[in-house]
Amino acid sequence: MKDKVLMKGNEALAEAAIRGGCRYYFGYPITPQNEVPAYMSKRLPEVGGVFIQAESETASINMVYGACASGARAMTSSSSPGISLMQEGISYIAGSEVPAVIINVMRGGPGLGNISPSQADYLQSVKGGGHGDYNVIIFAPSTVQELADYAYDSFDVAFKYRNPVMILADGVLGQISEGVILPEFKEIKDAPEWALGKGKERNIIRSLFLNPEDRLTTHNIHLQEKYRRIEKEIQYFEEYKCEDAEYLIVAYGTTSRICKSAIDNMRNNGIKIGLFRPISLWPFPYAKLKENAASKETLFVVEMAYNQLEQDVRIGVEGAAPIERLNKLGGSVFNEEEIVDFISNSITLKGNKYVG
Amino acid sequence: MRKNVVVINKERCKSCSLCIPECSRGIIKISPEINKMGYHPIYIEDMSKCIGCTLCAIICPDSVIEVYREED
Repeated sequence: MKDKVLMKGNEALAEAAIRGGCRYYFGYPITPQNEVPAYMSKRLPEVGGVFIQAESETASINMVYGACASGARAMTSSSSPGISLMQEGISYIAGSEVPAVIINVMRGGPGLGNISPSQADYLQSVKGGGHGDYNVIIFAPSTVQELADYAYDSFDVAFKYRNPVMILADGVLGQISEGVILPEFKEIKDAPEWALGKGKERNIIRSLFLNPEDRLTTHNIHLQEKYRRIEKEIQYFEEYKCEDAEYLIVAYGTTSRICKSAIDNMRNNGIKIGLFRPISLWPFPYAKLKENAASKETLFVVEMAYNQLEQDVRIGVEGAAPIERLNKLGGSVFNEEEIVDFISNSITLKGNKYVG
Repeated sequence: MRKNVVVINKERCKSCSLCIPECSRGIIKISPEINKMGYHPIYIEDMSKCIGCTLCAIICPDSVIEVYREED
């Protein structure tokens, strides 16, 4: 059996990424993901990799663009304001079909906001904050173990589809220390045929299509066909005590863990409630959510943001069940009692009127 | 029969007991459990007897009690 070690989320993520084949890291420090570049700067030279602290987030994403275009396994990480700066680069990477891994450890916004955990980047990340018709594959882990596992696998997914992959964590996951079983070192494959400097023909990586022969329309149709294929193949989610549930919570990431203890608590009081947690936020598991929502009395969307995850839930549920929201804004985290109180009150007070 | 709901904010209750003689049905009792402030909060013994008169909510000095009457 492999050894279980106690590691901070950010460090476990960095180590797992290296074991998953990452040899190039470009980044710029920002709380709460500082441990990623710190760990990378020490660890990458040991495994023959390269660490560069770029002069800005814009520079780091473009360094990743360059490195990945030559077939290298490169990644960058940042937190909300930094990811905003990277959006242009992410659009270029998606447009020129280059695989890259981007880590977003979300913090409170808007603007510089604060440094505490939040989920307010959902729409920016999932719906594509940059320009053009593109999608980024998004994974939202909820434990340090998952954070490590998805960081480990993300390079394979990115190279399989030639598409950027983003891991959407939040300040809690980045900073929390938990037991984690790290995966084995992956053998690094040679750069693929399409990469710069590979193959017999001269490869060109670009997102500019001006000539009438290579119409941008054709390129876009090709991208959309690829996205439809990804939607079919990637549908990750978790169901918790859903079998006999009358009510359903929808939450992801850190919030889903708090919801799990709230669910256990409420089940002790006789409320039959379950949790649906989307793990791949794009492609969102709409069909599975609808299946789960169909027979439920009410759906509760719990998120550390306002009406972001809820928009996707509404698309998925298609009016099959009424939806209520519980939000926490400005980089603060739910506690179990809040969720229990909100949901039990909302269930018991249904059809009653406040009189005094 | 009406199904009324009384929401008690247990953490805010300081166990002053003003609501107990005020309740026309005598169903409010002091709970043996202890809240975060160290007081014994109130609880409703038999909810089916509640007529939703809101006297407890009116007398409560700390707005611990909220009464919800079933809509007709």
